[in-house]
Amino acid sequence: MARAGRANFRFDKIVLLVCAIVSLILLVLPMPVREPIAGALRRTLLAPAVVLQEHAELSRRAFLAHDTLMRGRDSVALQVMDAKGLTAENQRLRDLLGLGSRLRWGFVPAEALHGRGVRDESSVTLSAGANAGVQRLSPVIAPEGLVGIVDNVDPTMSHALLWTNPDFRVSAMSEDGTAFGIVQAHVESGPGKYLLEMRGVPFRTSVKPNTMIVSSGLGGTYPRGIPVGCFIGETKTTETWARTYLIRPAVFPADVSSVMILKPERASEGVNNVWATGAAADSGTHKIVVAGDSMARAAGLAEAHARQVAQDSIARLDSVRAGNGFGGAAPGATVPRDTSRHAPRPATPGVPPGTTPNAAPRTAPRTAPAKRDSTGLPTTL
Amino acid sequence: MTLAALGRAVLTFLVLVLLHYTLRPLLGWRAPIDFLLLAVITASVRLRPAGGAILGFIIGLIADALNPASMGAGALGMSVVGYSAAWLKAVFFAESLPLNALFFFVGKWVFDIIYFAAEHRLQGVELVQQLILWSPLSAAATAVAGVLVLLLLRPFFESSTT
Repeated sequence: MARAGRANFRFDKIVLLVCAIVSLILLVLPMPVREPIAGALRRTLLAPAVVLQEHAELSRRAFLAHDTLMRGRDSVALQVMDAKGLTAENQRLRDLLGLGSRLRWGFVPAEALHGRGVRDESSVTLSAGANAGVQRLSPVIAPEGLVGIVDNVDPTMSHALLWTNPDFRVSAMSEDGTAFGIVQAHVESGPGKYLLEMRGVPFRTSVKPNTMIVSSGLGGTYPRGIPVGCFIGETKTTETWARTYLIRPAVFPADVSSVMILKPERASEGVNNVWATGAAADSGTHKIVVAGDSMARAAGLAEAHARQVAQDSIARLDSVRAGNGFGGAAPGATVPRDTSRHAPRPATPGVPPGTTPNAAPRTAPRTAPAKRDSTGLPTTL
Repeated sequence: MTLAALGRAVLTFLVLVLLHYTLRPLLGWRAPIDFLLLAVITASVRLRPAGGAILGFIIGLIADALNPASMGAGALGMSVVGYSAAWLKAVFFAESLPLNALFFFVGKWVFDIIYFAAEHRLQGVELVQQLILWSPLSAAATAVAGVLVLLLLRPFFESSTT
């Protein structure tokens, strides 16, 4: 029993020794010999394990990359949100530049600084003051239209009343000039808070929906033609002698960030053609059509006059000819009108003058009257 | 060993090998759990030392195929560990979890010492750092995992003994 145990123990040690020797031989084998052995093991016994390990490592990478990807996605989302704001701001600045190029002169660009903390939506502080040429009662405008008016001027900044201020007034008219009135803030809580109303419009005057309301220029503070808003509808008031219209403002207080302050000399000069509106285009088209009609009418009159003159001259010519020899004919007799067509032909050898070769001699005088043109005028007088 | 016990041992061995190529890369620890070593040890304790040595050699050789530059180092280490596990199990016949944990810890550390010494890839400070710092950490993680495996599989193995 003990001998068998010793034999087994010796066998175990021999096996271990063999394994160790084989392992050491593998370690010292050159790489070109080891690589085929390793490759064969990888392709056979180890292949499923390699696939499992590959999937596990991919899963781990995906798990680790998840947070990074989420952070990246959030960053991109934030950048997209910023990009929208930047796009809107860029568009607004482009509009402002366009307004500046149309105004050409007499304005002061300024930044509108809102008092956001106290929800002051009826006034705004402007970043330009007397040093830049701003004066009190200067109109404040934006690319969309009228914003307000400067009510207080400091050397480096100024204060302006927005149209939402209850004290704000502007003389306005419909763009076609049919309705005039005074525009002021529509004092109401709720959805109608940010609307304007046009008061004092004569009762006989009606305004079509979506008509643009612009400043009328009356009073001298605001030049004529600054968009104030768009007509929405009529509102009922206690006044029975005049209409009051609700107007959707052209500029909303929240959108006011960069504005322009018109200098007094520019305001007195006017802002014609600075805001191109649809009504102006319609008016231009109407004028072109009217001008075309006038030209067509004038051309028709000229043609009729020319035709009358031609008739008179023909009648005068025929009467003159009748007086020179053909006048003895009795009325109603046929008269050859244009004898110049029958001038003598050059002499042909063998043919006597006045005869046509191979033609029968005329035996009877021409009796049918010769027609002159297609005017249909009578050939006998 | 009955056929059922052999089947359970083989199943445990395959599960541990599977974990080595799935859970270990998924965890990606700097001091990884060596499920392959756990598989060799848990199988070797049911074999004779010669069987443990051969099993360790085969498993080590297959694992070395992924790194031909050190081919043979893993086989040598696993052979020694497999042989030692079978021999020590025969000597001590330990059943306590702490002793098994120590068994796994020492086995992993010894394997790493043999492996890195035979591989000749790390030298000097790097080798010392590996053998004194990372190998014990890896051995500790392997020991913990081994104990957890034993705890989970204890009902499995006890049913085989009853």
